[in-house]
Amino acid sequence: MLLIYIFQLKTYQTFAPAYHLILEGILILWIIRLLFSKTYKLQERSDLTEKEKEELIEEWQPEPLVPLVPKDHPSLNYDVVTGPPSHRIIVNGKECINFASFNFLGLLDSERVKLKALSSLKKYGVGTCGPRGFYGTFDVHLELEERLAKFMRTEEAIIYSYGFATIASAIPAYSKRGDIVFVDEAACFSIQKGLQASRSFVKYFKHNDMEDLERLLKEQEIEDQKNPRKARVIRRFIVVEGLYINAADICPLPELVKLKYKYKVRIFLEESMSFGVLGEYGRGVTEHFGVNIDDIDLISANMENALASIGGFCCGRSFVIDHQRLSGQGYCFSASLPPMLASAAIEALNIMEEDPGIFRVLQDKCKHMHKALQGTPGLKTVGEPLTPALHLLLENSTGSRTNDLKLLRAIVDYSLDRQIALTLARYLDKEERFLPPPSIRVVVTVEQTQEEMEKAAQCIREAAVKILK
Amino acid sequence: MINLHEWCTYYALDSAKMNVGVAHSEVNPNTRVMNSRGIWLAYLLLTTALHVVLLSIPFLSVPVVWTLTNIIHNLAMYLFLHTVKGTPFETPDQGKARLLTHWEQMDYGVQFTASRKFLTISPIVLYILASFYTKYDTTHFLVNTGSLLSVLLPKLPQFHGVRLFGINKY
Repeated sequence: MLLIYIFQLKTYQTFAPAYHLILEGILILWIIRLLFSKTYKLQERSDLTEKEKEELIEEWQPEPLVPLVPKDHPSLNYDVVTGPPSHRIIVNGKECINFASFNFLGLLDSERVKLKALSSLKKYGVGTCGPRGFYGTFDVHLELEERLAKFMRTEEAIIYSYGFATIASAIPAYSKRGDIVFVDEAACFSIQKGLQASRSFVKYFKHNDMEDLERLLKEQEIEDQKNPRKARVIRRFIVVEGLYINAADICPLPELVKLKYKYKVRIFLEESMSFGVLGEYGRGVTEHFGVNIDDIDLISANMENALASIGGFCCGRSFVIDHQRLSGQGYCFSASLPPMLASAAIEALNIMEEDPGIFRVLQDKCKHMHKALQGTPGLKTVGEPLTPALHLLLENSTGSRTNDLKLLRAIVDYSLDRQIALTLARYLDKEERFLPPPSIRVVVTVEQTQEEMEKAAQCIREAAVKILK
Repeated sequence: MINLHEWCTYYALDSAKMNVGVAHSEVNPNTRVMNSRGIWLAYLLLTTALHVVLLSIPFLSVPVVWTLTNIIHNLAMYLFLHTVKGTPFETPDQGKARLLTHWEQMDYGVQFTASRKFLTISPIVLYILASFYTKYDTTHFLVNTGSLLSVLLPKLPQFHGVRLFGINKY
């Protein structure tokens, strides 16, 4: 074929202009160069020279596998709980009144829930042994999703098998590289991990400060106007919690919805602490403020607090939630919720729907506890009156976190001796973006009586007077 | 006589297979499309089919048909390899290739791989054939050379990720 071509070229030589022959020659040389060029990566790997390698090896000092820690390091002295964390909890062998577990509605110990869970255990066994897509979907999962969607009055709901993984899978399913997320500084650790996994640009605004958020949104709007083609392609989200775990206050949802429509951002609301707590029927912070639930693009909540089960759910519009069925990493690639726990959650929802009076009772108890703890010498109460889990911070910090923790731990020990179970709020110190100050977390549940709450407040006051003087 | 599979194993070319319908750990399957089995042949057959279809149109002369083949082939190549960006499916890397064209995604940006060489050489061969069959006419020459340049320049490693005048950037 090539010979025929060259022969024909020679015969048609009179037709071929000179510039063309030169061009064809260049192209053929280009082909030959291409055929012999080596593959290479565009970013050159900077390989170290032998000398540099030797230097690095010389400099390296081995660290012990287990670093030396003092004997009184908090991680080495932990409290041991025997039995379930119900209203009366057995800590270190002593029976105490539980002011530490997030069992807000007392459903952990409910006989109805336990019976239902047992019958479910007998029917299905313990685990599902598979993710939702691979024989891990049971009728109880579908029923729970339907019930949650109906309870929250949204179109659809999706269940995750681990509460931490719920919001940590939901955020990266929608927000990718190049997208922008505006988050509150007091966001919990699971939100932070979700943001890290999403690889998006994260902009933090000061806790519950709508002016700061508006400033950030305005700056983004100016950027967008400079580059409208880029702005058309990037997505913007706001991630807030209904009731913050770390700060114990409620987010200003009506203002957030106003900002949402003004600056065209999507809102993701994390309702782990407010689901089953706020609102007339326990539907959370949207019911508390009277905000239309369709204004919120995604509501994510933990079933491990008020609902006393395990796992989490997201609810919202159908086309939003359906996306997570293929893109939610925790949904597709983790085993599904054990059917026993799903039945327990359904029964807990039944109890919540039958008796909406308990939410009023819980809110009253929270207000009572908040009032009782005010004026404790040396400690300040952080949190809204409606919050079931408030924080007690040291009024005057000693200056070092370990010393603060020691003082607070002494108060907790004093309370444990008097049969009041309290806990320090724990964080992964090195991993948190904005580490909250050390605090004692006091939890109010529906099962606590007035006397018990008074006793706890009195005990804390005595401890504060004794230890913080 | 050895078959393709043995040849591949001898030359450690385990990428010449189609990972369709199997579980694979390829983060972005777009990077391996042009290495899959039979795609080079399919591309050549498609170009030949285009040429034959154009030849069957009665009122077009042979030089015009060759120029048209060259232009349509280069236009399609520019569209599919250098215009369309990102992936039609979700990738587990949170959209790393969202702003990259298919050419830039091929083999994760490694230059001068076998597929890249093949796809650079085939428009040149088509151009040489077209310029021969149009008898080096000036108008045809200008049109064909312009078309060839539009498809060769984006393939240079210096043009990786370059968007001239901000066109097609986002």
